[in-house]
Amino acid sequence: MPDMTSLAHPQQRSFNPYSENGGTILAIAGADFSVIAGDTRQSEGYSIQTRYAPKVFRLTDRAVLAVNGFAADGNMFVKKVKQRLEWYRHAHSKDMPLRAIARLIQTMLYARRFFPYYVYNILGGIEEDGTGAVYSFDPVGSYEREACRAAGAAQSLVQPFLDNQIYFKNQTPALGTSHPAHLPLPTVLSIVIDSFTSATERHIEVGDGLEMYVVLAKGRNLQGLEGVRGMQELTVTDDGERVFVVRRDLKKD
Amino acid sequence: MNTFVERFTTNASNGLFCGNGAVEEDEEFSDAMWGSEAGFGSLARGVPSFTVPSVSDPAAFLRLHTDDHADPNCKIKIQHGTTTLAFRFQGGVIVAVDSRATAGSYVASGTVKKVIEINPYLLGTMAGGAADCQYWETYLGMHCRLHELRNRERISVSAASKYLSNLVYGYKGMGLSMGTMICGWDKTGPAVFYVDSDGTRLKGDLFSVGSGSTFAYGVLDQGYRWDLSDEEAQELGRRSIYAAGHRDAFSGNTCNLYHVKENGWNFIGNYDISKLHYDGPGDVAGSPGHGYGYDLRVEGRSSVNAPEAAPAVAAQA
Amino acid sequence: METSFALTGKGYVIVAADTTAARSIVKMKVDEDKIKEISPHLLMAYSGEPGDTVQFAEFVERNIRLYQIRNLYPLRPSAAASWIRRSLADSLRSRSPYSVNLLVGGYDTATHEPKLYWIDYLGTQVDVPFGAHGYGSYFALSLLDRYHDPEASLEEGLATLKRCVDEVAKRLVVSPGRYKVKVVDKDGVREVEI
Repeated sequence: MPDMTSLAHPQQRSFNPYSENGGTILAIAGADFSVIAGDTRQSEGYSIQTRYAPKVFRLTDRAVLAVNGFAADGNMFVKKVKQRLEWYRHAHSKDMPLRAIARLIQTMLYARRFFPYYVYNILGGIEEDGTGAVYSFDPVGSYEREACRAAGAAQSLVQPFLDNQIYFKNQTPALGTSHPAHLPLPTVLSIVIDSFTSATERHIEVGDGLEMYVVLAKGRNLQGLEGVRGMQELTVTDDGERVFVVRRDLKKD
Repeated sequence: MNTFVERFTTNASNGLFCGNGAVEEDEEFSDAMWGSEAGFGSLARGVPSFTVPSVSDPAAFLRLHTDDHADPNCKIKIQHGTTTLAFRFQGGVIVAVDSRATAGSYVASGTVKKVIEINPYLLGTMAGGAADCQYWETYLGMHCRLHELRNRERISVSAASKYLSNLVYGYKGMGLSMGTMICGWDKTGPAVFYVDSDGTRLKGDLFSVGSGSTFAYGVLDQGYRWDLSDEEAQELGRRSIYAAGHRDAFSGNTCNLYHVKENGWNFIGNYDISKLHYDGPGDVAGSPGHGYGYDLRVEGRSSVNAPEAAPAVAAQA
Repeated sequence: METSFALTGKGYVIVAADTTAARSIVKMKVDEDKIKEISPHLLMAYSGEPGDTVQFAEFVERNIRLYQIRNLYPLRPSAAASWIRRSLADSLRSRSPYSVNLLVGGYDTATHEPKLYWIDYLGTQVDVPFGAHGYGSYFALSLLDRYHDPEASLEEGLATLKRCVDEVAKRLVVSPGRYKVKVVDKDGVREVEI
């Protein structure tokens, strides 16, 4: 017999289809390469759901997408982007150019303006002119091309470090010298690794594993990538852009 | 070409949202989605369609989950905080903006492009929701081009701004947030229109929008004249954005300056606001030759008014 | 809305405050003097909670006068401002705090230096070359950053004040109608017209 008096009270329900799953992503563009990275911890509150949930995905041979925020929305969104890119491939017999993927992502995010995907996206890859590029998005689709961007739980820890090391913010070059416009790949990789090991030390939602995707422009040699521990190539041909992934462990406590 | 134009001529009034309640966006795939169409494939049949949550009050749902500037705990943060300005004068239109985007007290970006280049002779500014401004002003650009194709002449600034105003008015109460100035040069000469997401559309000579607008107005109003020279006008735009960057914590980083003339807009430059404070705009037209900072400007000047030292004769007596 | 401005110049401080006394949506009075002459070389513009303002201003006035009577010399502006600030700070920590914002302008006859202090109801005190309270400050501060000159003559200083008043009249929705303007310099305190 249900308690009729308690049922008589007005009840309020609210629809909350969002959660926050932690983690951090980051991307840096070089002159003819792009590095897109993310940790692999997925958590909710203080509980770790899994130590391996990828947040970085290869879209084409020249585009890699990192998603951060609400994991369910992120996975759904990546799935839909991949679907649209496959259709494009069927219609045009080629991969969609990076800047077009960026615009596609804007319209796909904005289509959900009134029911947003709770996802921060960073798109990295190689532009049609062979330059490395990074595009960053807000959850409803505003975007901008940048040279580097960190997003997610530890963005406020990582971005200032990147500003200093990539853009040389608040640094004065020694007399008669100037800061380089683009950094070489080995330097970028070590900056990315340092960013994540440091973020792991100081942020509880970052850790477990690190996945770094490297996209190299067409015709660029491996320079700086050979012999990197844990490196694996994802592309089969070497006459176009090439995609590599480097996997590393991060602290698991 | 006609068939292409045909596809875009659907009247904007036939339903802004696809279906009601739970929307299956998968059912809405058009043939255009297989192609590119500048990424706007989903718009091929006229008006874009938006997914809405299947709740009784979608606008309340959106308010609950997106940051309305007031609640920093909200999950989905929309970029806020801005200073933008535009004014009309004898030599055209000056458009100047800052480049800071904030999420709560975090500076989310210091390199935002708040001037949206709609086409070579129309500019739009960005205040409020970054995505709302970017998306709808890009969309406006497409329709300005269609207007050219259909009418064999450029769209007037008045018509373009009215198009945008009517568009966003259709979404009134749904949570769009934009305060923009549509600037350009048409048959009537230089023109500036203020358009916002309430549906307000105002024609005027001088506007400033955003959290730093009051500070910009303070400098702008006092220095403004219709017969300003090009150099003076550019300097006034730059100086006003600096003032806002200096006094408003939500504005800053850099200033982007544009000048619209008869043959379209020109990008004048990007100026670091800290550099403007200490060194000034550098070797550019209208530069005062020193930093804009108050302490630099009044260095060595004192309000102490000590009387003249007593003459030597008096000392002897 | 209540607005007050003050700025220093060569050997003087100008203090200006609007003259409206409002209650709810009604203007109760349009010629209220909200600048008190608290000693021969000291001016204080006050704004804030109705009732508190005048009570606190008179309290300050009487205590500053008492000091002068007891010691046969007046407090210098810096000392007066410090005492006023401390009074507000003590008040804030009492059962019924005064909610009053102040601009204290004075002429230091010992150093011949015009001094201006911006003080708010929380007891924040800043020594400034120019200052403002109320909604008018959002328009006036950037303007004063641009136009203020510590060596300006009184005429130039009043012209800069006029810019502030005009700007607020132009842009503020509920702008005050008239202002009372007072100047303090080596000759003491006097009222001027703008």
